[in-house]
Amino acid sequence: MTPPPPYVGEFEYSVLLAVLHMDGGDEAYAVPVRALLEARTGRPVARGALYTALERLETKGCLRSRMGDPTAERGGKARRYFTVTPLGVRALKTMHASLANLSRGLEAVLEQP
Amino acid sequence: MPMPLPPPFAERLLRASVRDPEWREAVSGDLREELAAVAAARGAAAAARWYWRQAVPLAARFTVSRLVPAFTPPRRRRVTVAQIERTSLLGAGWSREFRHAWRALGQRPALSAVIVSTLAFALAANAVVFTLADALYLRPFRFADVDRLILVTSDTTAGALYLDRESVAPADFRDWRDAATTVSALAAAEFWDPNLSGIDVPEQLPGFRVTPGFFELLGAAPVLGRTFQADEGRPGGHRVVLLSHAAWQRRFGGGADVVGRLLRLDGEPYEVIGVMPPRFRIPYGADVWTPIAFDDARWQDRKTGNLMTLARLAPGRSLTDARQEFAAVSARLAAEHPETNRGRGVTVLSFARGLGDDAVGPLLAVWQAAALLVLVVACANIANLLLARATERQPEFDIRLALGAGRTRLVLQLLIEGACLAAIGVAAGAGLTVVAMQSARTMLPPSVIRFVPGYEYLQFDVASLAAMAGLGAAATMIFSLLPALQASRGAGAAGLARGTRATTASAGKQWVRSVLAGAQVALSLALVVAAALIVGGVRRAAEGAMGFDKQQLMTAELNLPEHPYGDLSRRREFVATTLRALSAEPGVQSVAVANTVPYAGGYSQRPFLREGATEADARNDTRTTDLVRITPGFFDTMRVRFVSGRPFGDGDGAEAPPVALVSRALAERFFDGVDPIGRRFRLAADGEWITVVGVVDDVIQDWLSGQRRPTVYRPFAQDPTLHMSVLARTSIAPDSVAGGMRRAIAAADADQPILKLAPMTQVVTDRLSGIDYFADVLTAMSALALLLALTGMYSLMAYLAARRTQEVGVRLALGATPRQVTWLGVSRTLGITAGGLTLGAVLAVAVSRVMQSTLFGLVTPNPVVIVASVAGLACIALAAGYLPARKAAGQDPWAALRTE
Repeated sequence: MTPPPPYVGEFEYSVLLAVLHMDGGDEAYAVPVRALLEARTGRPVARGALYTALERLETKGCLRSRMGDPTAERGGKARRYFTVTPLGVRALKTMHASLANLSRGLEAVLEQP
Repeated sequence: MPMPLPPPFAERLLRASVRDPEWREAVSGDLREELAAVAAARGAAAAARWYWRQAVPLAARFTVSRLVPAFTPPRRRRVTVAQIERTSLLGAGWSREFRHAWRALGQRPALSAVIVSTLAFALAANAVVFTLADALYLRPFRFADVDRLILVTSDTTAGALYLDRESVAPADFRDWRDAATTVSALAAAEFWDPNLSGIDVPEQLPGFRVTPGFFELLGAAPVLGRTFQADEGRPGGHRVVLLSHAAWQRRFGGGADVVGRLLRLDGEPYEVIGVMPPRFRIPYGADVWTPIAFDDARWQDRKTGNLMTLARLAPGRSLTDARQEFAAVSARLAAEHPETNRGRGVTVLSFARGLGDDAVGPLLAVWQAAALLVLVVACANIANLLLARATERQPEFDIRLALGAGRTRLVLQLLIEGACLAAIGVAAGAGLTVVAMQSARTMLPPSVIRFVPGYEYLQFDVASLAAMAGLGAAATMIFSLLPALQASRGAGAAGLARGTRATTASAGKQWVRSVLAGAQVALSLALVVAAALIVGGVRRAAEGAMGFDKQQLMTAELNLPEHPYGDLSRRREFVATTLRALSAEPGVQSVAVANTVPYAGGYSQRPFLREGATEADARNDTRTTDLVRITPGFFDTMRVRFVSGRPFGDGDGAEAPPVALVSRALAERFFDGVDPIGRRFRLAADGEWITVVGVVDDVIQDWLSGQRRPTVYRPFAQDPTLHMSVLARTSIAPDSVAGGMRRAIAAADADQPILKLAPMTQVVTDRLSGIDYFADVLTAMSALALLLALTGMYSLMAYLAARRTQEVGVRLALGATPRQVTWLGVSRTLGITAGGLTLGAVLAVAVSRVMQSTLFGLVTPNPVVIVASVAGLACIALAAGYLPARKAAGQDPWAALRTE
């Protein structure tokens, strides 16, 4: 029996989506994730909030991380790359489905320009 | 383009705040990466500012998440068990933490009890002293704007030993009042302790005559009735009194019908017009107040000053302004009235300073210092015990760390244990404090309390409770943190691999504990020496040579009312009748009257002006002498040795030429080796010439001075006073003459109350009781510190011995003798004790010097006391170290080796 996916908050939901966009590639670390979040949502994102959300999502099992190789442009520091786990994908799906369920019948309002 | 570097301090701050090394690397790397972009776009300086703006909030966030475990990012390798532990810290988990702590404390009940009682006693000592300091020194007067009030006194005798608060002449007071602009109001008060008669038991009430406006100046309003009106400050209109709340409750049952009632005070009818609020007893525990009603002639009097003068500073004016103005006015008066005011200065003090007891400050400072030392010793002791306990629990911590418990968690748990101990300690300490305060309140006799302002506020209040809780919390932090940090620095899995077998603690930890034990020895030595010196001083004051024989001596102190005793011949008559009746009583050997007796604290001082001194000498002369008036039988009754000349006789009456006896100290100091008999002197610049007829041995008048003070004795008949003590030397127990004393005084005046009827030994004890109590408490504190230090030493040695059981087993098995093994333990005690005592001896010398300079000569540093204390402490400390060492050496080596 698979455990039920953990509940993720609104900000964590956004962060999960942003990481999923990077798809485990070279961009799946905090700096591009934050840039994507700011670009797509149009809101400033505090660095600390992002790190906290990443930590918490990892604790909940929605993200997995690995350390990359140190690079010169970072002063010899490694990057921490994130991947969305299957549990994270299920949490996204659950959240997405419940939001979709809630919005059904509201298309007239929500999809107006 | 070179890599832009972040501001080093900002980066260090950030790195320090992120605990997880991987996160630390990722976060600082991310910021560096973005820094490069910002620097390329906006320049290096802007980039550095940008970095600061990013790093500080990040560091703050990581620090918060580190301190609040709920936000702590778990370590990736942590197993599930640890995660459950972590979440349990939220909400209901706290109760589990406390249960856990409680269980841990219960596992070592003796240890916990020692810690709790140590803390309780140390806190109680501090709370009691704090309450005393608060009531008597910091806030003895609690009414509005007390800091705007001042006390103004005249300096009539230069070089007087004490501040003479009742010293202002009526005419000076009037002139001050008319001239002063720095004060908005000026009021005067003079002593008036009237005899309340015409009721079941005549009683003397402590009271004051005051100028109308006195209460308004102090900002006090009556709870019943009204205060004095301006026209009641004139002769004829002044037969009105205000009562203190305490007197109203005690003598009149607290009924509202007291207003309008007529009282007989000093034989005159007075109408009660009001009652003052509870605790208003200004000045000096007053129970009754009546208006000063001087006639014009009296207001013109510039010669005799006995008014206490209070004033309220005008808005915007300071104490310094008032000082300057009063000095100027006083200088003008000296120029206008040189015959009376020449050389008369003025002293302006704040109300609290002026009416406070000078002795209270230094005494309380010594107490407070001692109490803090006790607390420091207690904290050192508790830290020592907890360190021992933490070392003992090291295996437990290792296991928990290995199973994934966070270090934060371990530190938190130890802190909670500390907080539990502190909470119980504070509660127990509060109980102890209440008991101690009750004993403090009943410890001092009322005659002393009257002159200790603020005594009525002596109770355990919220402020003390807060101070105590604060001290408790601080102590918790001090004694929990050290062991907690040491414990959490444990080796985890490495520690487990080392095994849980008992071994000696690491060198660092032992060093800390040895220093703690040594410091305790040092501090307690200082306290023991301080207490020994004080106790010695008090004993000298109470038991030492006084110059008179206090045994078999009964005294009755009384104050004759001015009406009808304003007439001097009535006073002489009263004394003669009393003495005649008293000598006829059984058991009475000899009788006398003096205006004051030694140790009663009521002697008066006068300038001493020798005949033949030049005008310039007289002006610069700062010699003062005590003045005592006595009847002829005084020296026989007191058993004071006569040195030379003749005693007073019946011939030295009111009409005879003025004569005096002088003390040996006066003869030696003021007559420059010349035989004083037959020489003349005066006690005021315009006084009569007095001839010396004899010299008597010195009498110690008071512990406060404790020395041979120059004293002039005058025949009572030539200078009769209203205040006096009747003395009787008895052949039976002095108490059994009490009835005879009462009968004799009643024979002279049936309405005359006795202020105090007590054997001389009691008079001495009462006068010493303040300082006596002080010495007792200090002794108790030093005993406590000593006990704590020995507990600390013993527990350290016992603990070390127990930890080394296996080592000792190996040594014994390999052929070491028990004596050698014992020496191993004792040598360590020896080192700690020697270090502690060396430091302590230095401290003790310093402490005794400070006490000598602050405690009015009560204490003299005594090398014997210091050496004896060092030796005593060394013996006890070595015993505390020897016992556990011998126990360890006496064990069976094989059993020792097998212990786990």
